Amino acid sequence: MLLTYALATGLTSGALYALIAVGLVMVYKSTGIINMAHGELFMISGFIAYAVHVQLGLPYVSAFIAAVVCGFGLGMLIYRGALKPLMRSSLANVLVAAVAISFILKGLARAIWGGQGDYIPFPPILSPMPIMLGPVMVIPQQIIAVGVSVALMLALALFFKATRIGKWMQATADNVKAARLVGIRVEQVYVLSFGIGGAIAAVASVIMAPITLLYPDIGFNLFLKAFAAAVLGGLNSILGAVLGGVIVGLIEQLAATYLHSKFQEVSSFIVIMFALIFMPNGLLGQRNIRKV
Amino acid sequence: MSRLLGCRSLLGALFICLLFLPFGANPYWLFVGNLILIYIVLALGLNILIGFAGHLAFANAAMFGIGAYAVGLLQVRLSFPYWLALPSGGLIAMLLGTTMAFPALRLSGIYLAMATLGFAQFTQWVFLNWETVTYGAGGFRVPAVDFSPLALPPKIGIYYLSWLIAVSLVAFAWNAMSSRIGRAFVAMRDGEIAAESLGVTLLHYKALAFAMSGVYAGIAGGLFAGLLDYVAPETFDLFQMITHKAMVMVGGIGSITGSVIGATLLVLLLEALRAFKSTQEIAFGTILLVFVVFCPGGLVSICRRYLPHWQEPLHVAQHAAILPDTDSGDVSDSPPPPARAEL
Repeated sequence: MLLTYALATGLTSGALYALIAVGLVMVYKSTGIINMAHGELFMISGFIAYAVHVQLGLPYVSAFIAAVVCGFGLGMLIYRGALKPLMRSSLANVLVAAVAISFILKGLARAIWGGQGDYIPFPPILSPMPIMLGPVMVIPQQIIAVGVSVALMLALALFFKATRIGKWMQATADNVKAARLVGIRVEQVYVLSFGIGGAIAAVASVIMAPITLLYPDIGFNLFLKAFAAAVLGGLNSILGAVLGGVIVGLIEQLAATYLHSKFQEVSSFIVIMFALIFMPNGLLGQRNIRKV
Repeated sequence: MSRLLGCRSLLGALFICLLFLPFGANPYWLFVGNLILIYIVLALGLNILIGFAGHLAFANAAMFGIGAYAVGLLQVRLSFPYWLALPSGGLIAMLLGTTMAFPALRLSGIYLAMATLGFAQFTQWVFLNWETVTYGAGGFRVPAVDFSPLALPPKIGIYYLSWLIAVSLVAFAWNAMSSRIGRAFVAMRDGEIAAESLGVTLLHYKALAFAMSGVYAGIAGGLFAGLLDYVAPETFDLFQMITHKAMVMVGGIGSITGSVIGATLLVLLLEALRAFKSTQEIAFGTILLVFVVFCPGGLVSICRRYLPHWQEPLHVAQHAAILPDTDSGDVSDSPPPPARAEL
């Protein structure tokens, strides 16, 4: 009973981490940048949805659309406005700039939507009453969360397989020079990957906000967990990110259930350090051969 | 006249001003002056690691915290006197910092940054949750440092101790960076394989870079514990890290004078915005972003352009902030490791 409950919860948070990790990996694959402000895109889109749905009282669908537009636009803006000019100088500068942006966004959210420690509840789509699914008691929102995550990932797979833009992105990720040679506008692909990454984070935020609640510091926490998932999966494999997300979610819940609730927080940091040091290629990532 | 406008005279003038600060200042300004001295040490330690040795690490705030906790806990739990606890705290931070050199042997660029970020968060979690040793979320009080043999009140005593330590650590960094050590760091930063082929043992110099930065942060943490008489976990969070990074970037990456200037200016700004956490975050994020994008060499690069006598040991090239990721180099030309289309 305890185990099934832990598994159900772990799977839900795993789906969340997987969604955020997929955005991270998409950006990393095509641009080589870890978007340190990715978590803040989740956080800001969540607050936008909150503002539209709760503060303005508009229907859920409009909140969803507003959040996705915000995530998409902000993701593109971050790349075009700040990171693009730095791509030529050094990766370290890009990373530091992204951290700086994440702090600006966090500060803005704190200034607009309340101080530190204010957890803002977000109304769920269905009733918050738990239901029995066979022998397991689940909250309807959990089922929606897992379902939407699966649907979104299938849509993403279809996007890569069947659309032109998806193929451009794959080609750019595979070989920038060759992609340029065949006439793909690499810069636009970079911008789009940031935008789509942000949009995925926004979708995740609207579905998950009723479960995670919203607060300005949530972005960074989730970013670290998603990064743990991504690096466990191999950092350049989208399937790996999904797998990594589910594993990190399960590890967290099992550690919290069987060891101590304190260990829930820390398990993702341990996964990051362990994975980076001992298995930097992750579960499904491709070997990174260093050329001299 | 212009000969006088070098960085040595600027450093000298700043430290002499700080030396006489206690005679004219009220307790609050004394506190701010002391913070400036502590942050000078912190920014210097981080700059040695990032600017000279070229390792983008995110663990400086954690090292600062480890120093503060070590010095505080040695006094409270094991009743060490402060004069013994301070060097021991520096030593502990140095040892823990050095262990990070081992992952740094295998990782670089983004991977190292993320591993150290994971370490930093782990450290904060330990401060918060290992209650039997660290007193948990509430923090703990440290006894006021006793300067009675010197007939000084504690706050003045800790101020002059910080001044002495800051001056000697600046001088030490200056000399170390002008010596073989500094040259080896810079060679390592500009190309690990080239440095190795010139006889720079990477293990030794990476360990040395992390050890130096660990000692600087640890000592600063010890002084911070002595200044506040209080240690709490949330002081050493990611925002702390961002302030250190902003000091290094604003002053000038790879420049000792730059760290001193950056620390001085940003402590003043931090104090001016003390009341609002959100404003602090926005201001520091904006400053960091503006400097990274528009002035990656920091204020020092401006000084260097206009003051002909501004000479420093091993400063970075004019257009500055060269921290190549030795694995992938230029981002836009060589993308991340080729990946198969998956999913």
